[in-house]
Amino acid sequence: MFVYGRIGLVLLALVAALVWFLPSYYTGLLTQIGLYALVTIGLNLFMGYAGQVSLGQAAFFGIGAYTSAALAVKLGLTPWAGMVAGAILAAVAAYVLSFVALRLRENLLALATLALGIVINVVFNQWEFIGGSSGFKDIPGFALGSYTFDQRAYAILAWALLAVGLWFAGNVVRSGFGRALIAISAGELGAQALGVSAERLKRQTFVLSAVYAGVAGAVYASQASYIDPSGFDFLLSVNFVLMSVIGGIRSLSGAVIGAAVVVALRQLLQTTVPLVLPSARGDFQSFFFGIILIAMLIYLPRGITSRMSEARRA
Amino acid sequence: MTALAATAAATLAVRGVTVRFGGVVAVDDVTFDARTGEVLGVMGPNGAGKTTLFNVISGVQRPTTGDVSLSGTALTGRSVEDVAARGVTRTFQTPVMFWGLTVRESIEVAVAAREFGGTYPPAPYRELVPSGLGSSGRRRAESALRERADAMLARAGIAAMADRPTESLAFGEERLLELARALAVAPTVLLLDEPLSGLNPDEVEAVVASIRAARADGVAVLLVEHAVGELLAVADRVVVLDHGRMIAEGAPQAVAADPVVIDAYIGDELE
Amino acid sequence: MIESIWQYILAGVVVGAIYALIAAGFVLIYQVTGLINFAQGEFAMIGAMTAASLATAGMPVFEAAAIAVAAAALTGALCYVLAIRPARAATGVTLIFITLGLDVALRGLGLFVWGTNPLSLDPFTGGSAITVFGGKLPPQAMWVLLTDVAVFGALYLFFRHTYAGTAVRAAVANPPIASTFGIPLRTFAFWSFVVAAAIGGLGGVVIAPITSATYDMGLTFGLAGFVAAVLGGLESLPGALLGGFVLGIVTKVAGGLFSTGWEEAVGFVILVLVLVLRPQGLLGRAVRRA
Repeated sequence: MFVYGRIGLVLLALVAALVWFLPSYYTGLLTQIGLYALVTIGLNLFMGYAGQVSLGQAAFFGIGAYTSAALAVKLGLTPWAGMVAGAILAAVAAYVLSFVALRLRENLLALATLALGIVINVVFNQWEFIGGSSGFKDIPGFALGSYTFDQRAYAILAWALLAVGLWFAGNVVRSGFGRALIAISAGELGAQALGVSAERLKRQTFVLSAVYAGVAGAVYASQASYIDPSGFDFLLSVNFVLMSVIGGIRSLSGAVIGAAVVVALRQLLQTTVPLVLPSARGDFQSFFFGIILIAMLIYLPRGITSRMSEARRA
Repeated sequence: MTALAATAAATLAVRGVTVRFGGVVAVDDVTFDARTGEVLGVMGPNGAGKTTLFNVISGVQRPTTGDVSLSGTALTGRSVEDVAARGVTRTFQTPVMFWGLTVRESIEVAVAAREFGGTYPPAPYRELVPSGLGSSGRRRAESALRERADAMLARAGIAAMADRPTESLAFGEERLLELARALAVAPTVLLLDEPLSGLNPDEVEAVVASIRAARADGVAVLLVEHAVGELLAVADRVVVLDHGRMIAEGAPQAVAADPVVIDAYIGDELE
Repeated sequence: MIESIWQYILAGVVVGAIYALIAAGFVLIYQVTGLINFAQGEFAMIGAMTAASLATAGMPVFEAAAIAVAAAALTGALCYVLAIRPARAATGVTLIFITLGLDVALRGLGLFVWGTNPLSLDPFTGGSAITVFGGKLPPQAMWVLLTDVAVFGALYLFFRHTYAGTAVRAAVANPPIASTFGIPLRTFAFWSFVVAAAIGGLGGVVIAPITSATYDMGLTFGLAGFVAAVLGGLESLPGALLGGFVLGIVTKVAGGLFSTGWEEAVGFVILVLVLVLRPQGLLGRAVRRA
């Protein structure tokens, strides 16, 4: 069976087993890893395979979350449909924004995605219909018949979606589309001279990455049951980039590894740093995350998975 | 033996193409035709505007005035990929490689580019989504593409390097691959920008053979080459540029003997 | 109505002056190294917070300011040596991410050292508000504008009238040739970081009495400084000045007429418009598509 399909199922089985005896707090973390990994897969397709940059992925995550939440709270729509709606809206946003952003290169593309991500965040903050700066609360959860999801069910849902996402992305990557992506990231003009539209490829990939983020966001909204704009800010976008880089931007399994490392690291820092430095206040982990990102980029720019594949070849 | 589909007769018409960069005139009112089944050599000393001319024909550069058309279809103003989709392909002075892909995969990209007609990719429901879902239709199609790629590799004489990563190729091998890639899209017009430079004699022979085979298949080949001897040997007709203007046109031997042409080359490196 | 708009404009001029300083730092680094330094705003934060905490502890304002600027400059030096220079072989995207990491790390550092509470700094000179055509400016605004004149003036003099400045311009115009002449590109890169940081730090110090100092001001000012730099033209120091003021005025007027929450968005919409319609900025030279 296809390797990415296998990996996804194995991970799902693992998670399903773990949630039976893990305390609810850790189950919540597992869900977080699963959802973030889903976003990061999309980001890796766009950054690692198509060779672009996005510093605004949190915006699509947020669009997915707000769409699902708004439909559920205001129209009583089930979050299952909200997930689809969130993905669609995020895709539409990415499609529209792509006409602005994708003509730009590197530096300027990074700036543009950064800017657009922040503008969308400001919209979240200012639009009273979706709660403005106080956000949305009492977002209905997922349900199957009469059974409403608890933390365990969310973890399983998240990793099931991740398994599907891994399988889909894995198929894309080994198809002609994936080869074309690598071609335009390595030699855009050469590919264009063969009749390949780099702009269309990038657009389709960008929209796909938004779909991944939108689905993850919708599930997040119901799992957290409360969302506000501060959860979808520039810093979250940076976190996604960090997950991508740590795992290896041209690696799908790297997306999962990167997400796991970042979430675990955040937990570790939150528990251990106050012991060593009792005066540390606020969201101090960002200091370490920044240092780690820099160190990774200098010493291990292709991420953890590149080390692993080297070890395998040896 | 797989051959490129014999191309229907077509003419590439370059009319009054002028390219001005600020105060510099790189190409000055150039007009000529290139026909299918013919190798047209483009000669001229350094800085004569040959690559700029290629850039205009392939859509990389917009001309200041003038136009280019292929059998009546206008090419000027179209994007590079659009021009390519209409049958004009090119190679570059420094070969453009797709690092991250193998040799075979590079050819697969070329073959796939023509799969749907028009530029690649097609609408997502035709390729991206079915590919992601692992559709057997896509898998069959890609199998067929792979076969065509392998046939192309064999025809170009580079089947032995099929699984090598493009990063590992020597310069000569890169040139051969880039040429094979260009031929894999079955072009109507093929622009070759100095395809022989940096090659050893065996490789030169291989490239010249490919050029002759392409001509036999009915491709219109435009060849810029500093190795004047080789160019004159393979071309059917030659145009000569100097400082952007066309100073001669005609049969290779006649042009080579033309005093105006010889004059233009004096003081420049002639191989 | 006219009075309020004029007041918004005045407010825009003041904040625009700081944006101009931060933009100058961006442009300086971009011109010398080709890098967009996402961490630029944090230098302002470090300047502001250092000065504010020292002054609160009793140090006289000008001493605190001097130390604050030195602290910012030192930070710039460390950033270059520890994060930028080791990565010189990296591709464009990697370098962007490295400066992103710097931004995040510096902000986290600010949190560590100073916590989340805003700190205030007394205005350098006391006195009541200055009236300008019916609008009011705080006396500190004079210091802000003075700083702009001093910094941009010094930069102008340096680049046009000193040997070192000309060498830098040569290096920027043609790095490979410049280095064959023995022009030390890495040293220039180092000093561009130090000077950009010092300028940013100075900006933070002079604006702190007006806006107060918080650990997350770096992001707001940094992003605004970006937009100002791109608006003016990333290749142009005078552009930074122009871009800063234009941005400041437009945001404050829009924020005043609509609501302050949209101020940030206005800046970014401007950024996107510039990138799409005129990527070289107001004063930059048009980039030719090859």
